[in-house]
Amino acid sequence: MITYLIRRVLAAVGVLALVALLTYWIFFALSADPAVMICGKTCSPERIDQIRATLGVDQPFMTQFFTFIGGIFAGRTYGTGANAIECAAPCLGFSFQTNQSVLEMIGDRMPVSITIAVGAAILWLLIGVSAGVLSAVKQGTWWDKAAMMVALSGISLPNYFIALVLQYVLVVELQILPFPSTPAFGDDPMFWFKSYLMPWTVLAFGYASMYARLTRTNMIDTLGENFIRTARAKGLGSGLVLGRHALRPSLTPIVTLFGMDFAGLLGGALITETVFGLNGVGKLTSDAISKNDQPVIMGVTLMAALFVIVANIIVDVLYTTLDPRVRTKVA
Amino acid sequence: MKKVEPTGPAPLLEVNDLTVSFAARAGTTTVVHGISFSVERNQTVGIVGESGSGKSMTSLAIMGLLPAKSSTTGGIKLQGEEILGASERHLRKLRGEKMAMVFQDPLSSLNPYYTVGMQIAEAYKAHRGGSMRAAKLVAADAMGRVGITDAKRRVDHYPHQFSGGMRQRIMIAMAMCCEPDLLIADEPTTALDVTVQAQILELMAQLQDESGTGMVFITHDLAVVSQVSQHVLVMNKGRVVESGSTEEIFSNPQDVYTQALLDAIPRIDDPIRALKKVDTGLVNDK
Repeated sequence: MITYLIRRVLAAVGVLALVALLTYWIFFALSADPAVMICGKTCSPERIDQIRATLGVDQPFMTQFFTFIGGIFAGRTYGTGANAIECAAPCLGFSFQTNQSVLEMIGDRMPVSITIAVGAAILWLLIGVSAGVLSAVKQGTWWDKAAMMVALSGISLPNYFIALVLQYVLVVELQILPFPSTPAFGDDPMFWFKSYLMPWTVLAFGYASMYARLTRTNMIDTLGENFIRTARAKGLGSGLVLGRHALRPSLTPIVTLFGMDFAGLLGGALITETVFGLNGVGKLTSDAISKNDQPVIMGVTLMAALFVIVANIIVDVLYTTLDPRVRTKVA
Repeated sequence: MKKVEPTGPAPLLEVNDLTVSFAARAGTTTVVHGISFSVERNQTVGIVGESGSGKSMTSLAIMGLLPAKSSTTGGIKLQGEEILGASERHLRKLRGEKMAMVFQDPLSSLNPYYTVGMQIAEAYKAHRGGSMRAAKLVAADAMGRVGITDAKRRVDHYPHQFSGGMRQRIMIAMAMCCEPDLLIADEPTTALDVTVQAQILELMAQLQDESGTGMVFITHDLAVVSQVSQHVLVMNKGRVVESGSTEEIFSNPQDVYTQALLDAIPRIDDPIRALKKVDTGLVNDK
């Protein structure tokens, strides 16, 4: 188990390094000169050179890259002499737009993204999985057909469309919910809940649809297994046959998917946050991309990759408890 | 075709004119055509036939485990009580307690997610109640009785940690843990290699001696059926083409299909010849 974990962590570090290299290469080596962008339209060539030197972008690509990586582990100093700016480890650099520390920017936005992700995940797991199980058990009935129709629309309709329709109906016309925003929980929990309810619902709808269909398929497959026949032949009631023998094998693959999806959302729900104007990591990312704010893009990409890789390891370790066959292989 | 004459007032199992059919869009397909037989306590009735002859459908019909889309007519009496058409709730009480089943493929018939001890224990607990811990002790005991050494430790192992023969022993332990009156074994040795097959057959015979359980033994293997059963039914295309005592069937087969089946067995004392093909069309659809 320990050697397995060490191997996984080493592989994860390799993947992260590769992601960092590729992202750095795409955004720093191929796109516009950041010094020109910072300096503005009326700018002397000397000033540009000076900024380049401060940012370190006058260096060759690999030197820049290793300075960046070094900054993450040991911190770095921008510029020299009196103008030097210290950036402590883990240093992701400063935004070209606001001069804020990228790490701080991400840190400021994380709570919103976490709130959105956790709330949506609870919703979609509850609704998606139970709808899928019910559909499988009542296969072919009107419930099954109706649920799968809704699920199909949930998968096919784009997020932003559902978001706009819901916003129009619930906020503008019926005025049941406030415009989505990101209030603090402590101030007014009810207002907090109502403000987040729509982003949660919109985000959860698509995922719940996918999970419902997947759960249904898994469950139907499992119900056709020989061990279900054995369970019935033992004289077990349908509750035990479904709850104990069919549910666990059906849900184990869902755990993998959930780990990935949830980790992806921690890296920001790009569309949902942007449509509702919520200041999470997703909004930060889309803003950074539209303004070509390279350090921020670098930071959020690395962060998102880290989440997905860590989730991957957690899911794999979890799998050893969930599936006894995997446990024997790993141990 | 000979009818099985009941020997006692109420046999353990009495199947009377059982017909199983499936409704499909193209019409109904009948897979078992009016078969009748009975099983006494301590007796083993073998049902032989090739794939698709309706052997397994017959056993599932007795257990009440046929898919919902099927329809069954005729009668199935267990200890004199009609169980065909009984409520699911009532059947559930009978399954595992009065009648139990051992299936062909022990690996896929055991749930990979739970320990074998738990899977045996829940069968016991479903009928006898009590705590899971107490049922686990019964499970360990049952595993010991089917010849699994170190059963106290192995109750906590998972199905994939056992060999094929051991898994089938576990299936048998599970089926026998409530001491059922009737055991239906559907090709219990088909997935096993020959030496293990012999051990399992021996075990089943020994358990039957101890408990007096009546047995329906389904197989396509004539050699196996000649070893275990006192009475044989030969099935083809959903019909019983011949039935009688094992001795009669093997020494003096009356039906052309049975003759062809027996003739197809390669013999060690015969000169080498090409294996014979059994013509399933020997029996006409009436």
